[in-house]
Amino acid sequence: MAEIQNSNPTILNAADLPTRLRPAVPHKPGYGTGIFASALPSPANPADFLCTSPYESSDSDDDNLLEELIDEQEIYDLIGSVSDPEHPVSLGELAVVSLPDIKITPTLPKVPGSPLQTVTVLITPTITHCSLATVIGLGVRVRLEQSLPPRFRLDVRIKEGTHSTADEVNKQLADKERVAAALENGALMKVIAKMLETCK
Amino acid sequence: MAKPHLSHLADLTPASPERTWLTAPHPTLPIVATCSSDKTVRIYSLTNFKLLSTISDGHKRSVRTCAWKPHLQGESVLATGSFDATVGIWRRWDKYGNETNHTGAAADNDMTEDASDEEEKEWRFAVLLDGHDSEVKSLSWSASGMLLATCSRDKSIWIWEDLDDGDDNFETVAVMQEHDGDVKCVAWHPAEECLASGSYDDTIRVWREDLDDWGQVACIRGHGGTVWFLDWEGVETTPILSSAEQRDQWREQRALSGSRLISCSDDQTVRVWTRQPKEGQQPAMSSSAMTGIPSIIRPTGSDETWEEEAVLPHAHELAVYAVAWSRQTGLAASAGADGRIVIYEERVVASTEAPLRTEWSVLAVVDGAHGIYEINHVVWTKRADRNAEGGADEEVLVSTADDGSVKVWTLQR
Repeated sequence: MAEIQNSNPTILNAADLPTRLRPAVPHKPGYGTGIFASALPSPANPADFLCTSPYESSDSDDDNLLEELIDEQEIYDLIGSVSDPEHPVSLGELAVVSLPDIKITPTLPKVPGSPLQTVTVLITPTITHCSLATVIGLGVRVRLEQSLPPRFRLDVRIKEGTHSTADEVNKQLADKERVAAALENGALMKVIAKMLETCK
Repeated sequence: MAKPHLSHLADLTPASPERTWLTAPHPTLPIVATCSSDKTVRIYSLTNFKLLSTISDGHKRSVRTCAWKPHLQGESVLATGSFDATVGIWRRWDKYGNETNHTGAAADNDMTEDASDEEEKEWRFAVLLDGHDSEVKSLSWSASGMLLATCSRDKSIWIWEDLDDGDDNFETVAVMQEHDGDVKCVAWHPAEECLASGSYDDTIRVWREDLDDWGQVACIRGHGGTVWFLDWEGVETTPILSSAEQRDQWREQRALSGSRLISCSDDQTVRVWTRQPKEGQQPAMSSSAMTGIPSIIRPTGSDETWEEEAVLPHAHELAVYAVAWSRQTGLAASAGADGRIVIYEERVVASTEAPLRTEWSVLAVVDGAHGIYEINHVVWTKRADRNAEGGADEEVLVSTADDGSVKVWTLQR
């Protein structure tokens, strides 16, 4: 990283960002759905509370039973506090990640009782040619891999139209083998660890 | 139950605490090798499903792949490929613990005379093949066992010749760099010296030696995503046929086209590819012999024309990481990120017209075969436990998953 790619990014006020990590404050209307959705357990997804066969036998620990409900806000709180690799500012404050760009959907909707859920995170790089997009995406992916139970499938992508080489970056981020190898790459992991230092 | 289904026979225990990538069945003995992110390879028995030994201290990063050298007697040789960019060659006498087998035979510098070695020490590190610039993803021994192909994220495929000189010398025969992305898998033809590879560049490529020069003879496009794995059709296997005449006709067709390829991809599909018949020509003969044009001038990629013969019925909702074509039964199995194992059957469509056409159908599906975990590999092998009922030819399917578990399945029909 010889020179900073975006020396003057737009930064949001941290107090305006949606979170559940501090006492509730009056919310802007736009965030309402996320909050309400999170307050109630979704009846459409009993798998969050009760794990049904054939999945229960393989999971000896009781994570599935004790696991808290994980919703979009929870995901946002996990990744919003990740730092940008070139600014001492969080991805939430830079609006690289934002609550409306996080979705949780059933991975196998046609399989009744399947506990698998897909977390889709769309990343908005601060500038369209930012070569750090892959590193940011990897940081988000690593943060989620380390924090979420393994029943989650991760889909971290560059938001359409926000980056010049989005397809290339997306293919790398979706490649399980490349991500696994990256986790064993000391130099790369140093950068990622630095980004995750600010996580709560 | 009349409906065919996969039935869980056993887990290989104890399992790796970390992700396991692939399990390779031994060509003759009832054992398998499972490679893991914990940098080790575990050798399990298929007779009692227990751990026999562990190969450790060889690789600095995840062991991604491994393969047994075929046609050996009295000794087993395992090649391992790792994210540390190296390939390891390991040896062990088959009758370990037996003093008499440790003397004579091949010279071995690392071998100790002590038969009471700990289990881990049974495996002797023979040689490290150094050449790739980044993670080794896959490796494969040729049918003869003389050639070893390895591939890597560095976009290259290396072919090594095992000189079998008693000094563990391997010679680099070829380095092929035509792929435009990580080479994810390599697989040798079951009989010929012909290699297939699949890549992050979404293509499958076929490679042959022509006048002492290894080169690409086909670049097969069709998949809409990374090609994760490949397997060849067995030389003798056939689809389900309804008459002896069909059988003869099928054999004739295969003699012209050769073994087919099956592949699986990030695009969630499994596909079968077939080579256009080479009329009046031995399958192994190169076209330069026909045209007289030396390989250096002849345009690469024009030698063989491969076509998509079938897209198997859609049965996966996420990336398909593994496919295995049984050389015993002709059944295919696939597995992937959705945690599902699917078994397919191929049947010749009733028709009097030539050439014969086939249809693939889903025979059995297991959802959540490894619970919530992704499945990285499936492979068919001979059943070896005491409860086997189907005789000497009965097969099991072995699946390998992200949580370190390896499961053995039987197909009930």
